[in-house]
Amino acid sequence: MIEGIPLHLILVVATVMFFTGIYGFLTRRNLITILMSIELILNSVNINFVAFNRYLYPQHLQGQFFSIFIIAIAACEAAVAIAIIINIYRRFTTINVEDVSEMKY
Amino acid sequence: MDGNMLVTMFLVAFVLVGGALVFSHFIAPKSVNYQKFEPYECGIPTKGVSWLQFNVGYYLFAILFLVFDVETVFIYPWAVVMKEVGLVGYIEILIFFVILVLGLLYAWKKKALTWA
Amino acid sequence: MQLENFLLMRHELLLLLLALLVLVFEIFTDDGKIHKIIPWITGLFVLVTFAGFLPQTEGVLFGGMFRITGMQIMMKNILNVGVAIILLQSAVWLKKPENSGKISEYYILLLSTLIGMNFMISSGDFLMFYLGLELATIPMAVLAAFDRYRNNSAEAGIKLILSSALSSGILLFGLSMLYGMTGSIYFDAINANINQSPLMALSLIFFFAGMGFKISLVPFHLWTADVYEGAPVSVTSYLSVVSKGAAVFIFSIILFTVFDKLSGYWINMVYALAILTMTVGNLFAIRQKNMKRFLAFSSIAQAGFILLGILNASEFGMTTIMYFVLVYIFSNLGAFGVVSAISYFTGKENMDDYDSLYKNNPKLSLLLTISLFSLAGIPPFAGFFGKFFLFMSAASQGYYWLVFIAVLNATISLYYYLLPVKAMFINKSETPLPVIKSDVYTRIALILCAVGIFGVGFYSPVYEWIYQLVLQFGI
Repeated sequence: MIEGIPLHLILVVATVMFFTGIYGFLTRRNLITILMSIELILNSVNINFVAFNRYLYPQHLQGQFFSIFIIAIAACEAAVAIAIIINIYRRFTTINVEDVSEMKY
Repeated sequence: MDGNMLVTMFLVAFVLVGGALVFSHFIAPKSVNYQKFEPYECGIPTKGVSWLQFNVGYYLFAILFLVFDVETVFIYPWAVVMKEVGLVGYIEILIFFVILVLGLLYAWKKKALTWA
Repeated sequence: MQLENFLLMRHELLLLLLALLVLVFEIFTDDGKIHKIIPWITGLFVLVTFAGFLPQTEGVLFGGMFRITGMQIMMKNILNVGVAIILLQSAVWLKKPENSGKISEYYILLLSTLIGMNFMISSGDFLMFYLGLELATIPMAVLAAFDRYRNNSAEAGIKLILSSALSSGILLFGLSMLYGMTGSIYFDAINANINQSPLMALSLIFFFAGMGFKISLVPFHLWTADVYEGAPVSVTSYLSVVSKGAAVFIFSIILFTVFDKLSGYWINMVYALAILTMTVGNLFAIRQKNMKRFLAFSSIAQAGFILLGILNASEFGMTTIMYFVLVYIFSNLGAFGVVSAISYFTGKENMDDYDSLYKNNPKLSLLLTISLFSLAGIPPFAGFFGKFFLFMSAASQGYYWLVFIAVLNATISLYYYLLPVKAMFINKSETPLPVIKSDVYTRIALILCAVGIFGVGFYSPVYEWIYQLVLQFGI
């Protein structure tokens, strides 16, 4: 337990991070920045899991293991997304989402 | 854990972010200028195009490093309990490594590791 | 742990072996010889599909993370059948010269996603569920961006990976709150500790939104049409049939077994989303001219019909969902098979190009017609029974208004499913498409679909069989 820091403060940090990520995802126009917003969302979930694990259920490590797996999967996701973004840059010569949209309703 | 308190926290966070979104939409001066689309929004103008033609090898190395670097995180939990899990755990981590090595061999075969 | 316990994971292990085999073959073979792998992998996969039907014991692995019961084996077999048909359909497309360097990648990625779906279906805790979900999604984005030299394909890939990453982020946030409330990530423990608190409902909503993206329910469907249009045809059929089926299976399992005490909340959400999904999917499908987009929106509408089965949280509801997905696999893959054959041999994907198709290609036209009739739910075909059971299961819970709206939507869907049929048989065209000589793989796949469309409908023991398996699982 970290001295003097109550759980709900950590949770507020995580929640604000989560919604900042959602906000960034919805408003940003650069594909890399959108990817960074997603990392923000996933890391807020990591904070949640680790904080719950440490403060409320320290007898098992389920939350910490969950966050390890989230970290690994986020890396794979970023690798695949960056590879596709590189391909997009070669095809469209831009990574602005508004220009990367040829298909319309 | 106090559920109501957490809901309150959640709503506070929601209102903060949503409020910031709405508030900034109304009071922000609308100016669209070139600086906003700069890669580094710090005021210093960049020289030339930020998307230079880097050698594609950089990207391949970066992506490969990203994946293989993070996979090692799974070895630490095994190392902590190595003695308890014994031979079965050892074989399992070997299988894990074999699959990773296959991935590396694949990258090698695809000439992702040669600097061309 | 006993070594023979691993036999419980037979489906996953066989698929993993197959994927590793392709990988080893790719590493140690010259690039020029890789196309020889196509008949081998297709044949081996058909063998794996048959092996899946062998009797198998039920059990639990990894301390409850992995559960296997007869019902889950059946779900995996249904998915395997779908993938076998897709592999047959995609063989001719893979032989194209532009794909010569990435044949094995296609198989590795496809098999990885299937392994992910199998683990997801068998999961006994949310960690395994999440791992399976991501393993089923991330390679899918690579598959969608498979045509490296087509702009649309790259666009489809980035749209798929970004929207699925966002949706799994939302889902995970819900799971983290669930963990905070119950102190466990195991389904049983969560179900034991669940209560009606607002935070529980909130985490349910987050979970629901995350899964809604994967199944492309209506407020979360915006990625679907673009991804379906941009991706290669065989990937589109995979996404719209197998991937959606797996997501529906695990979604209903989790709703029925983990969140059953919160059914007061999610029944209402499912009710509203079912109406929205059916209606919006139908209304957009009417306007589509591109056949892939058309099938994409029709598959959104079909997802709305599946939700009718979820409303009945019982063995009956589960059986109707599984039966409908089985029927849907055959019907939709039949339609996609014809579209993909025409797209491969002529490069045409628009509905106008199908004018007078019957003149030169009577067999393909007939097959597309029965597939579309089955999707629309016209009586002699299997699709009718699938829809009928779904309506029955919703009506048995007293949702008569919903069933009424669903029947209205089925009528609307009849109109647009008949549009390609009208184009093929009635519309006159100066330049109908030339005679298409399809290859042996495509023919086998299309015959399988036709047999499925007629067989599953008329052979009633299939339904009984699924029902018995679901009864053993117990909901």
